[in-house]
Amino acid sequence: MPRRSLWKGSFLDAFLFRMKKNREQIDSRKIWSRRSSISPEFVDCSVLIYNGKTPVRCKITDGKVGHKFGEFAFTRSSKTNRVKGRKGINPV
Amino acid sequence: MAGLSMASSLLPLSSSLSIASRGSSFSCPGSLSFPTPSPASKSQQRGALTIRCVRVGGVEIPNNKRVEFSLRYIHGIGRVRARQILCDLSLENKVTKDLSDEELISLRDEVSKYMIEGDLKRFNRLAIERLKEIRCYRGIRHEMGLPCRGQRTKNNCRTLKGKKVSVAGKKKASR
Repeated sequence: MPRRSLWKGSFLDAFLFRMKKNREQIDSRKIWSRRSSISPEFVDCSVLIYNGKTPVRCKITDGKVGHKFGEFAFTRSSKTNRVKGRKGINPV
Repeated sequence: MAGLSMASSLLPLSSSLSIASRGSSFSCPGSLSFPTPSPASKSQQRGALTIRCVRVGGVEIPNNKRVEFSLRYIHGIGRVRARQILCDLSLENKVTKDLSDEELISLRDEVSKYMIEGDLKRFNRLAIERLKEIRCYRGIRHEMGLPCRGQRTKNNCRTLKGKKVSVAGKKKASR
């Protein structure tokens, strides 16, 4: 689902762009740049994506290429009462 | 089977025969289904038993509308595509029941070029399932049943949330 025009290529922050060449550097590294898209070079690495509070571990697989890093670290904590309501609904 | 269909199309006199052909067309929607021309005289004779629909792309499309509009009853064909199909075939936009057999067959061929109905639905479902599988934001929103394109959820977005339930918690407590 490319939304950006193709001649621009996918967006990557500069420090990630440098890491493209040596993959080992990115492994289990904290990433604050949620806006950068995941490029195919990062597949099979596990990274820590910052969600505004704590870094969330995320293993990059083939399917995640082309998405942004931020899509895989939820920034909102889920409401607890919502889960309760769901549990209440299910048995009925 | 093609011979049989030709026979039924040539002899639309016995209504029982045409109904039987309709039943068999249900069983094999992929193959050449039977065009069922229903002349006006026949519909007058037997009101309930007449066949009202032409089958295109595995779906019945209404007979009494113009082709451009009746094509839209197929999932995956809308205004633009119905127009496009007519343009590509250079078909006249006539009422569906007036279509000749050759025109119907060419119409079916043209419609089958597009992704419609089951294929389209499966395609969409798989795309959503992929999002859910990789646990990305959009996938999670799909699972939660909330809009995934950044709409506000403080109010509105009733399509996804379903019908309004006013103070549901209070009611439950009273029970």
